[in-house]
Amino acid sequence: MSDEILTDKYVENAVKAIHDNFLPKAMEKMQSGLAKATQASYQNLDEGPELRMRAHDIREKTINNLDVVLTQLAAKVRENGGKVYFAKTADEAVKYTLDVAKRHNVKQVVKGKSMVSEEISLNPALEARGIEVNETDLGEYIIQLAGEKPSHIIAPAIHKTREQVGRLFSEKLGVAYTDDPPTLTRIAREALRDKFLQADMGISGCNLACAETGHMTVVSNEGNIRMSTTLPKVHVAIMGMERVVPNLEDHDILFRLLSRGAAAQKLGGCVSYIGGPGGPDFPDGPREFHLVILDNGRSRILADPKFREILCCIRCSACLNACPVYGKIGGHAYGATYCGPIGAVLTPLMVGMNKAKDLCLGEPLCGACRQACSVNINLPRMLLELRYRLAYGDDDWQTRQVSPMEKTLHQAWAFLAGHPALYRAFLKAGAVGQKIFPWSKGMIRTMPGPGAGWTRDRDIKPLADTPFRERFKMLSTKKSDRG
Amino acid sequence: MPNHTNETQFINDIRAALGIRAGNSDSRKKEIFTDPAQPPQAQKILLETIGARQDNDQMALLDRLAREAVPLNLKVIPLKNEAEVAKAIADLVADTAPEWGDKKSVVQWDHPMIKKLALESTLKDRNVPVYTAAFDGSETTDNQKKLKREQIREQVIQSYIGVTSADFCLADTATLVMRSRPAEARSVSLLPSIHVAVIRKEQILSDMKELYALLKYDPDTRGEGLPHHMVMISGPSKTADIELVMVHGAHGPRALYLYVITG
Repeated sequence: MSDEILTDKYVENAVKAIHDNFLPKAMEKMQSGLAKATQASYQNLDEGPELRMRAHDIREKTINNLDVVLTQLAAKVRENGGKVYFAKTADEAVKYTLDVAKRHNVKQVVKGKSMVSEEISLNPALEARGIEVNETDLGEYIIQLAGEKPSHIIAPAIHKTREQVGRLFSEKLGVAYTDDPPTLTRIAREALRDKFLQADMGISGCNLACAETGHMTVVSNEGNIRMSTTLPKVHVAIMGMERVVPNLEDHDILFRLLSRGAAAQKLGGCVSYIGGPGGPDFPDGPREFHLVILDNGRSRILADPKFREILCCIRCSACLNACPVYGKIGGHAYGATYCGPIGAVLTPLMVGMNKAKDLCLGEPLCGACRQACSVNINLPRMLLELRYRLAYGDDDWQTRQVSPMEKTLHQAWAFLAGHPALYRAFLKAGAVGQKIFPWSKGMIRTMPGPGAGWTRDRDIKPLADTPFRERFKMLSTKKSDRG
Repeated sequence: MPNHTNETQFINDIRAALGIRAGNSDSRKKEIFTDPAQPPQAQKILLETIGARQDNDQMALLDRLAREAVPLNLKVIPLKNEAEVAKAIADLVADTAPEWGDKKSVVQWDHPMIKKLALESTLKDRNVPVYTAAFDGSETTDNQKKLKREQIREQVIQSYIGVTSADFCLADTATLVMRSRPAEARSVSLLPSIHVAVIRKEQILSDMKELYALLKYDPDTRGEGLPHHMVMISGPSKTADIELVMVHGAHGPRALYLYVITG
């Protein structure tokens, strides 16, 4: 995972984000437009929105046969002239990339936007070797200049205002201040054109590979990934091991859904299929192509049948655009590479459930993410499963039980519920005992001890003086009187 | 090779995670992968539809393409023949200015249809050089090829208009599909500020499903299949990364003109 995991500051950072002057507005603007447009674009599919279910089946089948599919992908990429490297860990992937860079005496790198490269902290490793790394996606370029991390999977600088970008450019690039997005885009275009032409190495992620043809595909609207994968003499692509489909027919379905989930588009502006370098007869394009297939904790997720489904994800980011929590706190509060509902499930599985427990507790289980998901992943189910593991502990995941007290309380409750007389006595005692708390307008204002959390931001309804069971008896007596 | 040891271990870890053995991988492979020699019914129908298209069907596809192209800022211009296209390109050269520097030059593919445009002679009077971004066959040694490659790169960088054709065009998404070939340099449709593509209306397909059916199941198209590189371009470059404001021309061509020869 990335160099700094701040998942334990989730609550603190979420509070900060909610009180930010700009962030909630930016999130609102993005979500109100994109979430609806994405739903509409699913409706407009030839096959209708049910295609998401079919896509889920395809993904599931792929994941369940990942050994066979990846073996085929590797063989076919090699047939296409590409080199394939299987990296078990982030370190292995980084080391391999550094070795390629060293062999080609690489001084400058241009990068297409890639979450997996964030996941393995590739940029700092390259920079430590004295290699200049240039992010080329406009949003990613902005946050690189600002020394920040992406706050959205496909719109990484969504949290920045045009004024902030304007000040940043004038400070870092020495240009006159402007807050006009077309002018700012033009400034980045000029600055990056030189970088594209000078770079010796291009690095990209992978949106989706196709095993039978031996290609990985990358998509961008800006054309920056095409630049990064065409102009430098070497291209290294890094893919999470799950980002593959077996057949072209499957690729068609998944790619159409990916474009819709990501940006409500029928198809991204520029899609490159890359399986190898061109060879000596080709007048341009890289002379070498490397595909790094990364595990980095994914096989561990694969081994747990309850969480395997998360590997169906194709990182379209539709769940971010629909999530009410992400919509209030933005991406940085999640404190790790992947944010939003997908991050709330994936991050605990990658960095440790205890370390990232607040992420899955912070999501409200409203189901918006599942409806938005381009491949219909049941994210709420896995959020609940994480909570279950945290409540009871799980040795396979080295997960400690979060609150033994919670368990004791639940056990006590179960005991009471199984003993009606005791239960009734408890309620009666409670109805009297609660009078010692401060009240207002028929509600309890504050409670002490473990109950304090409940009443910190709201009042709590008291236990009734006469339990329903007794009132019901009285009601039925009255009714029989009338009858 | 160390690579392959890595691979074996990696794949074994996946099998262990899935709780399956290597033994049945051949039968699973048959189940997962579809066979290009045996198109499923849906793909057969697609191939028949493509094969049965008449002139008016292609015109209908062209209409659809033109409609889909509008929101993408892709200009689709139907013209009768190569002469009209050549004239249109000459006018474009006259009406537009280079983005980087002031000298106008054009770069093109070494492609039969593009050759027919005879841009070199058309633009000669205007003093605009036309480069062809391809080996001319005289390069035999590695060094000669290397030098030629460098020269081509320089010419593509200098040119502000790049002229290409395409393999197919998908009406549904207004997408140009280009499979890489030695005579068709990738950078011609990428580095110049204006990309001009010329196709015949017969090259228009309905959508990606049809394209994939052809690439995988059509005996003629399958021969070449998917080479090491293919690109799909739907309109000029765009971004919305600053406050979601749509801006055209982030990187790569800022404008894309698609001339369709209708015959």
